[in-house]
Amino acid sequence: MERRDLLRALASAAALSVLPNEKALAAWSRLATGTATTNGLSDAQMALVRAMADTIIPRTDTPSATDVGVHRFVEVIVSEYAKDEDRTKFLAGLDAIDARARTESSAVFAELSPEARGKMIESLESGSRDVDPAQTYWRLKGLVVHGYFTSEPVMKDVLKVVVMPGKFEGAAPVAIKKRPSDVKVPPSGQEAHAHG
Amino acid sequence: MADTYDYDAIVVGSGMSGGWAAKELTERGLRTLVLEAGGPIDPRIDYVEHVQPWQMHFRGFGDRKALERDQPIQIKCYACDEVGHKFFVNDNDNPYTTPSDAPFNWLRGRQVGGRSIMWGRQVYRWSDLDFEANAKDGHGNDWPIRYTDIAPWYAHVERFIGVSGAQEGLSQLPDGIFQRPMQMTAVEADARPKILKAFNGERVMTIGRVAILTENHNGRLACHYCGACEKGCITLSYFSSVNATLPAARATGNLTLRPHSAVAEVLYDAKKGRARGVRVIDTLTRHEIEYTSRILFLNASTIETVRLLLNSKNAQFPDGLANSSGTLGKYVMDHNFGAGAWGTHPGFKDKRTIGNRPNGVYIARFRNVKSQHPDFLRGYGFQGGAGRSGWDRGQWMPGYGAAFKQSLIDDLGDWGFGATGFGESLPREENRVTIDPEVKDKWGIPAARIEVRWTDNERAMEKDMAKSMAEMLEAAGFKDVHQNEDMNPPGHCIHEMGGARMSKTSKEGVLNKWNQAWDVKNLFITDGSCMASTACQNPSITYMALTARAAAHAAEAMKRNEL
Repeated sequence: MERRDLLRALASAAALSVLPNEKALAAWSRLATGTATTNGLSDAQMALVRAMADTIIPRTDTPSATDVGVHRFVEVIVSEYAKDEDRTKFLAGLDAIDARARTESSAVFAELSPEARGKMIESLESGSRDVDPAQTYWRLKGLVVHGYFTSEPVMKDVLKVVVMPGKFEGAAPVAIKKRPSDVKVPPSGQEAHAHG
Repeated sequence: MADTYDYDAIVVGSGMSGGWAAKELTERGLRTLVLEAGGPIDPRIDYVEHVQPWQMHFRGFGDRKALERDQPIQIKCYACDEVGHKFFVNDNDNPYTTPSDAPFNWLRGRQVGGRSIMWGRQVYRWSDLDFEANAKDGHGNDWPIRYTDIAPWYAHVERFIGVSGAQEGLSQLPDGIFQRPMQMTAVEADARPKILKAFNGERVMTIGRVAILTENHNGRLACHYCGACEKGCITLSYFSSVNATLPAARATGNLTLRPHSAVAEVLYDAKKGRARGVRVIDTLTRHEIEYTSRILFLNASTIETVRLLLNSKNAQFPDGLANSSGTLGKYVMDHNFGAGAWGTHPGFKDKRTIGNRPNGVYIARFRNVKSQHPDFLRGYGFQGGAGRSGWDRGQWMPGYGAAFKQSLIDDLGDWGFGATGFGESLPREENRVTIDPEVKDKWGIPAARIEVRWTDNERAMEKDMAKSMAEMLEAAGFKDVHQNEDMNPPGHCIHEMGGARMSKTSKEGVLNKWNQAWDVKNLFITDGSCMASTACQNPSITYMALTARAAAHAAEAMKRNEL
C-alpha cells in the first residue's frame, strides 16, 4: 500500500466513525477487499487513467502526460473536487471502458498494445459523446489536456509562457517552428487522428 | 457651546466612489475618516495576479466544495475563482433575500478597495442621449444634470486614473482624455471596417476604453499584459482605490482609514435636521463605536447604501433616512446582459497575439440613436473580442498521440470572436430594495431584500442583441456564427444602480443635483444608488465623476458655512 493510500484509508476511518453502522460496514468491506477505495481511484482505475493519458499525450521530445503528473491531477479532481454523483458516474465509466476492452481484446486498456489502445480511442470518439463510456472518456480527455498544459514543466519549457510579457501585439506573425518531432513518426505507431 | 466633531467628513466605503470621496475631501483640507466594512489590502501581500495554474491545487477550477459552501452566489462571477475568491464576500456572513421568482445575483467584495479591486475597468462617458432618456420616454424621472454639468469632472477623473482608448467622435459615446489605445487583434482590426461598411457607418467597433495604463502615470507603471487584473496588479497599472485614490488621500495627511468597520446606522440629529455621524460595529470585536462629523458621504455601494438608509429610520423618517419622497429603495436597476453571438474566422492563421490584453473591443450603441426601434426603448453596447483557441480545443477535439499533442503545441487554432450586449434597463418603481423582516447578517445588521425583475423591454432588447451581433459577425466574414439569447438574472452585470436617485425636485427622489440628500443637507450619496437611469455604458466612471463633483461642492459649501 502506498503512503497515499494509507493516508486515505486513515482519513476514511475517521470519517466512517460518524456513518451509520450498516454503511460503515459496507464501506469497510469494500476497502478491505480492494474493490473500491474511498473517494479516489482504485489501482485498476489509476492504471487505466495513466495508460489513457499517455496514449492521448505520449512522450516525444517533450514530456508525456504522466511525466508531468496528469494522473495525480485527475485524482485530485475525482477525490476532492467532483460531486458524489459525478465521481460515482466517472469511476463507473472508467470500469466500463476496461470492461469494453476486455470484451473486445481480452485485456484491460492498460495492457493493450498501442495499436489496440488507438483503436479503442477511435471507437470511443466515433459515437455520441453523451452516453457512457464515451462521456467518461471525454471528461477524462478534457482533464488530461487541461492538466498537461497547465503543468509547470509544460507551461515553462514547452509553451514557454511568459508571465509578464511587457507588451501586447494583436497581429504578430506566427513563427513556424520546424523541429525533428514535426516529421518523426513515433515508433509505437501512435499516429494522431486529429481532424478537429 | 460650539459643536465638536471627531472628523470634518466621514466616508462610508473605500471602493470605487469612496476612494474618490476620500481623495477629493482630504485634498481640500478636510480631516476625513473612511470606514470600510472589510479588511485591509496590501498590494505587496494580497495581490495574486501572477499565480500560475500549476501553483493552484485545482489548476484554476477552484475548491468547489468550499466555494459552494461559503460563496455559492459569488462563484457566479468569473473573477471569483481559485485564488480570486478571497476578494468576494462570504455569502453566509452577508445574506440577502429575494422573492423565489426573482433571483438577483448580488456580487460584491468587502475589503479596502471594495469592488475596485476586481472590477472590469471599462470606462465610458455618458452623453445627453443618456441623461435625457428618462425625460424623453417617460420612464423614471428626469435627471437633474446634463452632459455639460459632468463633462469637466469626467476629464478630471480621466486625468487622474489614466484611461487608454481611441477617439471616435461619436455623439452617443463622447471621447475623453486617453492614453495610447491598446491594439486590436488581427481579426478585430479586419472586422471593424467591414462592419462599418455593412451598416452605413452606424456600428462602430472601437478598442475598449479601459482604466489601465499604457504609459507610466503618476508613479504607476504601464501595463505589463499579464492579463489577470481582477486578481490585483503589483505595478498598480489598473485603477483601483487601493492603487491610486487612497494613496493620494493618505499623502495629504488628512486621511484616517478604519477597516473592519461595518456601519450599522447613520445617526440623525432631529433638532438640527442633520446627520450627526455613524454607529459602527467593529467586525472583529463586535464592539459598537460612534463617530461624528460635519458632513457624511455614503459610498457603500448601491444596495448597501440603500440598506443603511433604510436601517437608519427614526421618528422623523419612519420609512428610512432622507426618504420624505418615498422613493428610497425604489427604481433599482442593473444592465440587462448576456445575449450576443460568437463565431470563428477561417483566416489569419499566420497571425497571433503576444501578451495578454486585459481588455476587449467595444461596439458603441447604435439602436435608438437616430431612429426608434419598433420592439424596445433605449439601447445597448457590445463588449467582446477575438483570439485564437490555443490548446483549449484539445479538450473536445478528436485525436490522440504524438501528432495530436504536437498540433496543440504548434497550431494556435482558429480565431474566434464573441461579444455580449450590455443593455439599458428601464427604471421601475416595483424594482426595489427593502429590509428583510427576519434575516440579519453576521453582525446583527438587518439584511436587504432585493426584488428586481426584467420586463418585456429588456427581453426584446436581448433578442435583438443576439441577432444584431450575429449579423455583424457574418458581415465580417465569420463562420459557424451562433446566437445566444439567454439573459442573466438582474445583478449579474454587477452594475446595480438606483434606489436613492438624483432628482430635480425633492418629491421625486432622494438627492439633488449635487448628490446631496434633499432632506439632510450634510449627507451626500455618490455611489451607484444615486443613478436615475442606467444608460448602457459601464457606470463606474460616472460614479467617480459625480463623487468628485459632489465633494468639491460640499467642500465649497462648508467654507461658506452652509453645512
